[in-house]
Amino acid sequence: MKILVVEDEKGLAESITDYLSREGFICEVANTFWQADEKISLYQYDCTIVDLTLPDGDGFDIIQTLKKIAATTGIIIISARNTLEDKIKGLEIGSDDYMTKPFHLSELNARVKSLIRRRHFGGNNDMIWKEITVQLAARKVFIRDTETMLSRKEYDLLLYFLSNIDVALTKESIAEHLWGDNMDSADSLDMVYSHIKNLRRKIVEKGGKDYIQSIYGIGYKFTAS
Amino acid sequence: MASLVIYLAVGITFYWIIKFMIYEEVESRLVVEKRDFETYVRANDTWSNNSYFVENKIEVQPVFGRFKNETVFTDTLISNRYEESPDPFRQLTFYTLIGGSPYRVAIRKSMIQSYKLIEAISAAMIAFLGLLLVSTFLFHRSLSGKLWQPFYDSLARIKDFDWTKNKPLETVRSEITEFNELGDVMEKMASKMQHDYRSLREFTENASHEIQTPLALINARVEQFIQSKDLGESHTYWIEEIYHAARRMSRLNQGLLLLAKIENQQFTEQENVDLSALVLNKLKDFEDIIQHKEIKVCIDEQGSFRKIMSPALGEILVTNLINNAIRHNYTGGELRISTNKDHIEVSNTGAALKSDPERLFERFKKESTGAESLGLGLAIVKQICDSCELHISYQYQEPMHVIKVAK
Repeated sequence: MKILVVEDEKGLAESITDYLSREGFICEVANTFWQADEKISLYQYDCTIVDLTLPDGDGFDIIQTLKKIAATTGIIIISARNTLEDKIKGLEIGSDDYMTKPFHLSELNARVKSLIRRRHFGGNNDMIWKEITVQLAARKVFIRDTETMLSRKEYDLLLYFLSNIDVALTKESIAEHLWGDNMDSADSLDMVYSHIKNLRRKIVEKGGKDYIQSIYGIGYKFTAS
Repeated sequence: MASLVIYLAVGITFYWIIKFMIYEEVESRLVVEKRDFETYVRANDTWSNNSYFVENKIEVQPVFGRFKNETVFTDTLISNRYEESPDPFRQLTFYTLIGGSPYRVAIRKSMIQSYKLIEAISAAMIAFLGLLLVSTFLFHRSLSGKLWQPFYDSLARIKDFDWTKNKPLETVRSEITEFNELGDVMEKMASKMQHDYRSLREFTENASHEIQTPLALINARVEQFIQSKDLGESHTYWIEEIYHAARRMSRLNQGLLLLAKIENQQFTEQENVDLSALVLNKLKDFEDIIQHKEIKVCIDEQGSFRKIMSPALGEILVTNLINNAIRHNYTGGELRISTNKDHIEVSNTGAALKSDPERLFERFKKESTGAESLGLGLAIVKQICDSCELHISYQYQEPMHVIKVAK
């Protein structure tokens, strides 16, 4: 899976590529509009992550070109601009997602994966990890082939974990993933805790192993080790 | 008004001057006649008191011993022989000796002609002055109307001028240098305003970008860092602090930028927004936290509160109100929403205010010292209400904090 990261802030581009490379993606970086333009006309990518504000051009133009030459490429916009107009315009010209800076790398990772799943399997495939099987189309979860009933948020949480295996996730990123960013309060962190407790219980009840590890002061990690 | 006063003053003065001059003239003629009379008496030493004519009437009456050495002018009325109406006369009275005995002599002159003269002159004067006054007034009015026309046209254009649009201000050119200069200055100011507005707008957008990008970098680096296996407890503590501070700063930045954007009226889209429906809809997003905090929600819906405003602002307004009511609520508390066509009320239980309720809507007025609260939520609500001409008020009705948004 090849990903192009179009981002002029070198440090951020590096962080993104490092993070996504760990997840098994092959990443390339374009720091300027012209680099990006050149790369998209030469190579094919499964997903492109585009910053809208570039020193020598507008990210929207890249998306438009991309849509013309490689319509199947998934596009995620990352931008500091958080106006509704930008978001609507982004979706109108064919991007698949819009993330406002600053974002969580784990969230970006989850969205890239979900996008690629949608693009390649039409969202109809199953996600299988160890004894856990998730039927994405039906939104059903099986542990050792028995179904476990998860609430909507617990299902989202599990999917988020499965997209970020072996990754330390902050409580804040989980809270934001589940409730969006207008739920910023101490309460939302408590809620993360109780949802995790429930998810853990439901997996173990059906004979699964407890894969959720808490990391002191930071958050949680879904890991087999 | 002033010209009317001057007009009256001039009229009255003029009348007095004419009157004075005519009296002067009559009196000098009376004095001449007195001299004639004295000369005649001295020559003949007698006076036949039978002159018939009213004009130049000389009346001689004997006074027995009551001789006064004085000469007096008086106004008197003597009835007209034919018309039974009194006619005005000017009379010179003096005493003299005729044939050795003292007499009082009164010489009279009719003023009837003089009065007519005064009247005629005054009337003509007043008429002419009045005409002059009216014509100057009309002339001035039409002249100034014509002269000021370009000024009023320009004024109308300045009133219509909208600095949020790109259309430049164009004042009306005229032959009057001062107006043209004024127009130039106004045009310059207008284009400066538009320019400043544009650069402010760009600044808010750029500032957002410039600040959010390094913050995104901090966030990303921290996230990468926490993936390393060998983090000690003190490390995670520091990292958590950095992470929190960066996130807080990013939210603060977004909040302040939002305030600036509302202030700059950058939300120009207008729609008829049903705020009541929006509140009920938004409440669903908060379902989880309401459940988590075991908050009892009461909804009293009696009609929808509609307002022509930016839908984006409507959503922010409603979200912030609900968020505020939940954030400052306690576990097991109550959240009451009542709406009708004139207002929306969001009430919540919660600890009594420690600070001045008047200052509740100010920026950075925080009730709790909790780091999670930014102190911008209600300031944003207030700013939105101000920009959309909504009225917002706070009341504490034990045990509920009531925030009311009304038209």
